Amino acid sequence: MNSSKQSRARRVFGWFDDRLPISSLWRSQLTRYPAPKNFNLWYFFGSLAMLVLVLQIATGLFLAIHYQPNPHLAYWSVLRGIQRDSRWGWLIRDMHIVGASAFFLLVYLHMYRGIMYGSYKKPRELLWLVGIFIYLALAAEAFLGYLLPWGQMSYWGSAVVTNFVTAVPLIGKPIATWLRGSFVVGLPTLNRFFVFHVFLMPVLLLALVLVHMIALHHVGSNNPDGVEIHENVNESGWPRDGIPFHPYYTVKDLFGVSVFFVVFFWFVFYNPGGWGLLLDKLNYTPANILHTPADIHPLWFFLPFYAMLRGVPDKLYGIMAFGGSFALLACLPLLDRNPVRSIRYRSVLYKVNILMMAFSFLWLGLIAHGFATEHNMVYGLHVTEVFYATFLLLPFFNRERSARAKIIWLVVAEAVVWLIDVWMYSIHAHGWDLMLLTDWIPTLYLLLLFGLAIGFPALTRDAQKLPERLTAGGIFH
Amino acid sequence: MTKQNAPRGNHPVLLALLVGLLAGFGGLARASVATTKPPLRPITVNLQDKAALQNGALYTLHMCVACHSLQGVRYSSLPRMLGMKRDEFEKVIGTNGKHYHDTITSTMPPAIINAFVKILPPDLTDIARRRSPAWLYTYLTSFYVDPSRPSGVNNTVRYNVAMPDVFAPMQGLQKPVMVEGLRFGSPAKVAIGVKPLTQGSMTQAQFDRTARDIVYFLYAVAHPHQQERARLGPWIIGLFVVLSVLTFLIYKLYWRRVITSEERWWRVGK
Repeated sequence: MNSSKQSRARRVFGWFDDRLPISSLWRSQLTRYPAPKNFNLWYFFGSLAMLVLVLQIATGLFLAIHYQPNPHLAYWSVLRGIQRDSRWGWLIRDMHIVGASAFFLLVYLHMYRGIMYGSYKKPRELLWLVGIFIYLALAAEAFLGYLLPWGQMSYWGSAVVTNFVTAVPLIGKPIATWLRGSFVVGLPTLNRFFVFHVFLMPVLLLALVLVHMIALHHVGSNNPDGVEIHENVNESGWPRDGIPFHPYYTVKDLFGVSVFFVVFFWFVFYNPGGWGLLLDKLNYTPANILHTPADIHPLWFFLPFYAMLRGVPDKLYGIMAFGGSFALLACLPLLDRNPVRSIRYRSVLYKVNILMMAFSFLWLGLIAHGFATEHNMVYGLHVTEVFYATFLLLPFFNRERSARAKIIWLVVAEAVVWLIDVWMYSIHAHGWDLMLLTDWIPTLYLLLLFGLAIGFPALTRDAQKLPERLTAGGIFH
Repeated sequence: MTKQNAPRGNHPVLLALLVGLLAGFGGLARASVATTKPPLRPITVNLQDKAALQNGALYTLHMCVACHSLQGVRYSSLPRMLGMKRDEFEKVIGTNGKHYHDTITSTMPPAIINAFVKILPPDLTDIARRRSPAWLYTYLTSFYVDPSRPSGVNNTVRYNVAMPDVFAPMQGLQKPVMVEGLRFGSPAKVAIGVKPLTQGSMTQAQFDRTARDIVYFLYAVAHPHQQERARLGPWIIGLFVVLSVLTFLIYKLYWRRVITSEERWWRVGK
């Protein structure tokens, strides 16, 4: 009796399994998908980002049900309809707001993890590139969604960004009008932004994430040691340093999810505005087309790019400066061709450079958080130079350089920095006094980096002996 | 597996150095447009003080709503917040002749407001989210006589304010305490406080309490779910704290084998 029941359940499952690759996918992608066994704290963020994507789609669905994409109704449909009139609307909306910022935080950490452990190197170049496209789609999604509440900052932020296109010579203005569907941000803009935000971009994001996952499972995960686990397999073809993703990383990620939700819900319940960082306080005022705010800011996750834009006193070049930073990220596999993957086995100065990358990015954010004074713009320009340098100097670390090569690298890099300054001066962008006051930032960084490289060649030497197997240790191991 | 003596990923000294640098230069880079700011008058909002909330509602709905709207708030949402019954609310505070479930809109037609002040007064629904309670409290109590302004008054925290001093009959007029300071980076005389000039219908303490009550009320309407947040928050966060502990134990339980095992202990390809 009992066995016949079991076999019936098995028969039903078998019917489906014969027609859909359920159990084979389950096996190949989870229970027999080998993951390196030394993932550390940094490896939580990718799966958490996927969780937040699902959360954003779920909460967004409920918000879209109550939202009115019309300038006359939008603001109050959010601030009254969703926030006050509908039951639990405030909770859903605050989760969506906090989720947006969480998404960016997780993605930034996820990207930095990839940079640290060389996860963009062969054979994962395409995986990295798809990831960059996910980031771009996410940025577009956030920008489009920010207009929807139709608050002051929503409106003027969108006005500024849609104006970027007008920087393109000749055809810029017609294209901007075509994109907005109007000469200024208005009803047609709001309608299309709503459609793009709730339909186009989420579909694109989900598709890109799927491609990202397929690419990942095709080439296998990198790890903090940068060891290719598939190169050391046992007699049945299983990597000696691999463990099945399920149950080992599923239980580990569940722990990560729980801790993440503690922080997430603290913000949702007690600090949904996040000190004015997660939601600009000016957005509690309805959009007013006749009243431009004194200071137009993006939210925190775009601030570094905003500093790059502001640092260059020309619209087109400013946009190229911040757009170029995405190009640099995408070109990372081309720039860094050193065979050593993990930062653990790279030279000291390479580590300094990678830390400087994160540091200058944060610094740029801090600068853009201030007012658009000339002082802040000049700082922005010079820290942008440092941020660019941290990428463009990566080829220097590809192999050990002779003392002469180091000097040439130093002279050329300094010359580029100073030529940019001369150029800025020649177009009367900034006065010399301010330029000289902040020029020490890129100059000193380059001098320090190459000075140490010349004086102490050992600091540019990568680890001579790379591990063949994964090393134990690290927190949350 | 042999332990590798290779450099590790953790560099606390380097990290600490960079964090220090960030903190140090952060201040340098954040040179903003310097403006001398008057000190804000401290206030602690107490949403349990129903008498204060009711008084604040009375003044807001009978004075402020002459020009300002609270389009996000319905009259019907107020009694519960104020700790009143519906008929009590309608008798004592009232709905300005509107339907009970209507949103609160200004009682003066916008055209007339426009004739007075030329700009539409801001909606007060979320004003306490945009501004801190201390800022609102200081704003309400810091109008001062300034003959250079069309309305004859100015405000210490909101320079060149368009709003007339509607509190003058209650509070009396005030004169500014001026200091030499900065406004948007250039030297200027800046009002950092006020002193009484004439006597109004209220004493200073009475007026301060009225202003405080208005701030309480505005804070309450801008944070309508404060109670639910406080009630639900600890449970949800507590749930995930407990789950964190449980999942951590499960994770350790599963992973004990991984860390100690050197051999092939899982079944593969069978």
